[in-house]
Amino acid sequence: MATLERMDWYDIARTTNWTPQYVPEDELFPAELSGHMDIPMDKWEIYDEPFKQTFPEYVKVQREKDAGAYSVKAALERSKLYENADPGWLSVLKAHYGAIARGEYAASGAEARMVRFAKAPGQRNMATLGMLDEIRHSQMQLFFPHEYVSKDRQFDWAHKALDTNEWAAIAARSMFDDMMMGRSAVEVGLMLTFAFETGFTNMQFLGLAADAAEAGDWTFSSLISSIQTDESRHAQIGGPLIGVLVANGKKAEAQRMVDSAVWRAWKLFSVLTGPTMDYYTPLEHRKQSFKEFMQEWIVAQFERSLLDLGLDKPWYWDIFMREIEDQHHGMHLGVWYWRQTAWWNPAAGVSTAERQWLEEKYPGWNKTWGACWDVITDNLVEGRKELAYPETLPVVCNMCQLPINTTPGAGWQVRDYPHEHDGRLYHFCSEPCRKIFQDEPQRYAGHQSIVDRFLSGEIQPMNLAGALQYMGLAPGESGDDAHNFKWADTIRDERLKKAS
Amino acid sequence: MSNTEVLKPLKTWSHLAARRRKPSEYEIVSANLHYTTRPGAPAFELDPNLFANRWYKKYRDESPLKHGNWNAFRDPDELIYRTYNMMQDGAETYVMGLFDQFNQREHDQSLSSAWAGTLARLYTPARYLFHTLQMAGGYLAQVAPASTISLCAAFQSADALRWLSHCAYRTKELSITFQDKGFVRDERRYWESAPAWQGFRELMEKVLAAYDWGECFVAMNLVAKPAIEEAVLRKLGEAARHNGDILLGLLTDSQLLDAARHRRWASALVKMAAAEPGNAEVIRGWLDKWAPLADRAIDSYCAALPDLIDGGEAAKQACAEFRRSLPLTA
Repeated sequence: MATLERMDWYDIARTTNWTPQYVPEDELFPAELSGHMDIPMDKWEIYDEPFKQTFPEYVKVQREKDAGAYSVKAALERSKLYENADPGWLSVLKAHYGAIARGEYAASGAEARMVRFAKAPGQRNMATLGMLDEIRHSQMQLFFPHEYVSKDRQFDWAHKALDTNEWAAIAARSMFDDMMMGRSAVEVGLMLTFAFETGFTNMQFLGLAADAAEAGDWTFSSLISSIQTDESRHAQIGGPLIGVLVANGKKAEAQRMVDSAVWRAWKLFSVLTGPTMDYYTPLEHRKQSFKEFMQEWIVAQFERSLLDLGLDKPWYWDIFMREIEDQHHGMHLGVWYWRQTAWWNPAAGVSTAERQWLEEKYPGWNKTWGACWDVITDNLVEGRKELAYPETLPVVCNMCQLPINTTPGAGWQVRDYPHEHDGRLYHFCSEPCRKIFQDEPQRYAGHQSIVDRFLSGEIQPMNLAGALQYMGLAPGESGDDAHNFKWADTIRDERLKKAS
Repeated sequence: MSNTEVLKPLKTWSHLAARRRKPSEYEIVSANLHYTTRPGAPAFELDPNLFANRWYKKYRDESPLKHGNWNAFRDPDELIYRTYNMMQDGAETYVMGLFDQFNQREHDQSLSSAWAGTLARLYTPARYLFHTLQMAGGYLAQVAPASTISLCAAFQSADALRWLSHCAYRTKELSITFQDKGFVRDERRYWESAPAWQGFRELMEKVLAAYDWGECFVAMNLVAKPAIEEAVLRKLGEAARHNGDILLGLLTDSQLLDAARHRRWASALVKMAAAEPGNAEVIRGWLDKWAPLADRAIDSYCAALPDLIDGGEAAKQACAEFRRSLPLTA
């Protein structure tokens, strides 16, 4: 045999810890950036990443993957997807790219945090490949939507969304920063790679890829499934850390990190992914409901992997199971109603056939969320379109930065979860959002939600126009109903036919 | 009716649209990607006094190295992810081909026992040194003020993993032929205590703790890396050739291609920085601070290399030449 096998030299490449002498160890690995919790250097050396890959293997495999994804794009460039796609599908693309592309880039910085400050040498090497992966994901998810910028100004937001103070951009930054660049190497490992990438990106990328394939958007489908193959490698950076933490008496800390990240990811998904899957994706292309995707990709996956690795289910599991049933319906209603504040055009998704599907997937939908849509639909059908626009602001949560809402109808029990800290009153949407704040108030106390900014006079003039300007949304970018209310026209026709 | 203008689609991202030329793929996917540099806002959407927010304010935003628009920086090689992989897959195919061919020709068996001892002391411990570059590159990638700088730093960090990987591979291979030289077993001990390595170890531990992004860039890219490249790649490669170790010479040549690319972007960044008043002095101050440490590291390492005349002087000279070549005048 003329060349060595991977495992002949793999361990040597990850035996790189040394004892610093010229600079104190605590200065080389500041506790806040490393997250070592005083576990000695050598205890981290048992870290063993389950997915092993060397540098030469990496560049070879990734080159081939890129060739695949880019050639699909090139082959389908003249397929007129933009011209032929349902407007609801284009909204899926806009919401996805705007929230995700630059977030992926930020994730390369979080991987870099692990490259530099992790005390586990295997983690530093895997994070080096992870850092490259995230560069890949940001660059592809900028290059692919760029072909649409000359057709539709909202696609500019694939690049610019996270530079703005648009409400969803604030919520996305708040979540990403709280599990990525605002965290230590150990926290990034547990919160970004284990909690977020193991489950949630699986769902965003594989779930949406399934819908994309159904919708005939092969470019998007192949792009995001290709991305997911990287996630399945670097998402495994976090798992082995749990073993190190548990073995060194830090199980409670590990549990808290995972609990916090899963909840925060859930809230963002409830506003971005839930509506895209259950309302924007054309009915005939929906593979499964958001709830079914959540149960398959998140619930089952987490229950299994958390227990396997020696952690428990998060304390709020029952609350989580309840929210999976309905939280995203409220988020969707809010996004549609305040649609001028979005960089995409929300599809209402409540035609007669779609409502039947919603009732079937979410029994009781018609009596609850459907009742709200009845009012909106009646207003539109009867020509009172002005009533389908908002006049006030929602109350947003000081943790997830999203509107506080709950299921309407007979069981209506909206409530605020308040908390006073250092003389300031904070509002939360739920017990978990409040608990995350209470566990680490120093991370959040000084932050102002968009409503706090409005009330303090930072947003001027204090009306919708001022808010839109603050969010960076101008006419031509600002969202409206994806189908220009044609669905309401159809309902009017159906009603006329019935009446005659 | 309002007269508000309705924005029309543009030909590219709005941040690139003001210019009249068509942007390259590099610019479309690489420029202005940090959302953490929004004017007037803390880096992260959390408490402004959070440790990470204070860290980025101090070490990135308040660096003595200042520029009104770091986002204007462009990598002269315009490297993006997919071209990086194409390039390095080609380079790795070449290196793996070398390993394969030299192994078939029983290259290691032809090396002298004395040279094998030198490799055990002065080559294979370099994986620790390369790893410090990997870590420091990762730091610069997360703290640089523009994505076009961070991307160069990230690829550079990955290149250091490449060098480390070659070193680990050869460590194992040499251990098979030379079982009495301590290969695999003694690298850490040499790195931590052999006089030849202490200069570089001191230099890199201190570079790793240079947290100001500008100082990190200057100390690593303008001083420490060139010193490592001139001594541990070029001079070691020369000594290898003098000892019949053609393989190591060819290997370091391949790594020096990465190093040359790193110097191109570093020089371009110096040129851009130096166009703003005050920056040239800041950079010169850091060069003066770090160069003596790097020169001492070269001296102690090269003094141990066999069969080279004035190796250390030549390496220091090459580093000084590189620093002199930097476009430090506006």
